[in-house]
Amino acid sequence: MKKLIFVLGIIFTTAVTGNAFAQCDTEKHVNNCIPKLQSGFTFLKSYNIDGQNGAKDKVEYSYVFTKGAQYQIKICNDGEGTDGIVLTLYDSSRKQVASTKYQGSTLSALVFPCNVTGIYYITYTFEGSTNHCGGSVLGFKR
Amino acid sequence: MRNIFLGLLAAAFLYSCGSKKKPSAEDIAGVLDSVKIEEPAISEEVVSDIIQQIPSPLEISTLLKEAETKYDKSHLNDPDNISNYNSNYKKALALGIYGTDLGYTNIYEQNQDALFYLNSIKSLADDLSIGQFFDIGTIKRLATNSKNLDSLLLITTKNFNSINAYLQDQKRSNLSVLLLTGGWLEALHIICQVSANNPGNKQLEETIGEQKIIMDNVAILLSFYTENDPNIKDLATEMTKLQEEFNKIEIKTVYREPTYEVVDGMLVVKDNSTSEIIMKDENVVAIRKLVRDIRNKIIN
Repeated sequence: MKKLIFVLGIIFTTAVTGNAFAQCDTEKHVNNCIPKLQSGFTFLKSYNIDGQNGAKDKVEYSYVFTKGAQYQIKICNDGEGTDGIVLTLYDSSRKQVASTKYQGSTLSALVFPCNVTGIYYITYTFEGSTNHCGGSVLGFKR
Repeated sequence: MRNIFLGLLAAAFLYSCGSKKKPSAEDIAGVLDSVKIEEPAISEEVVSDIIQQIPSPLEISTLLKEAETKYDKSHLNDPDNISNYNSNYKKALALGIYGTDLGYTNIYEQNQDALFYLNSIKSLADDLSIGQFFDIGTIKRLATNSKNLDSLLLITTKNFNSINAYLQDQKRSNLSVLLLTGGWLEALHIICQVSANNPGNKQLEETIGEQKIIMDNVAILLSFYTENDPNIKDLATEMTKLQEEFNKIEIKTVYREPTYEVVDGMLVVKDNSTSEIIMKDENVVAIRKLVRDIRNKIIN
């Protein structure tokens, strides 16, 4: 009997936590985000921002940016704002290049005309976020 | 052990059912190749992190168009070469190569050529059980009108991103690595050839030199599979020679604090850092030759 309760308990917990995480539909956010790239930028990559209801405090991706190209990174979620999602860009030596938390506001996009080819780290953190969930896209132009 | 067992099981199945004809060694090798799941020596997460760093070959094609270089089909792999690719190893590399060629034809709005590449891509993708990512009807409809260029680029980029994600999910990241290696090598080959035809263009040479960074990532990715996959081991050996040539190039960077302004609600960064590529003409010549040799072994 104890074993049965234990097994049912595991099934229940898995179902509940599974549902909780499933609430973050990053694909929907990404699909909404692609058309919001500024005109002239070509879509390159999409990034899922799933903070798993606050369990994760950071989501990070990386990409090699090329000298001479201009990159735009856009954050999207349900509302107009970013719901506390902050994008911080670091260079290959982990030196901060830029953050969308700028002079007291949290902006939803960043444009980076790259002068040095290298690996850049694209980090999303949550500051006072309600949903800890969003999508982001990277575009480029020359 | 599990792979061997699955392979033997599949071979036995192939032997016992269907025609009375005995399966050839080639048939069995084909089945073995298709069931083999090459797990990397390190975690899938690390592999995935490195894979996502590799820039899209579209960036190089766009650079070539912006530099006003002419569209040249002779730099590309013939879509009819598809019959040369009879193993998953070759098919995955060729899929990457054709993906880059498709991007190049798209950027130059060569829709008829794009359709030939799409057919080859769809066929290879089907063989690798990833054909579901290509809605060929929609793609062909977009490809027949140059006004749909943005949509076509979007849909093909999304498809290739989805394929990579799917392969990693399915623990078939070895194929994802090959797809990416083929795509990058083809982009490097195209820019090497265009640079040879435009000897005065320093930007093209610099872009070749900058590929040193990607080369290192590709070499790392391949190294994860060399123990389990003899094909990848051979490819990695060839790539090491190319990496040695890239190692002769020096990239000097001077860091300066960036400055910022907000335009239309977006943070616009002014990157004040600079970099310089220190390389000789002979480096470019050697890289061009090595790339051509490696590519020829793959496509023929």
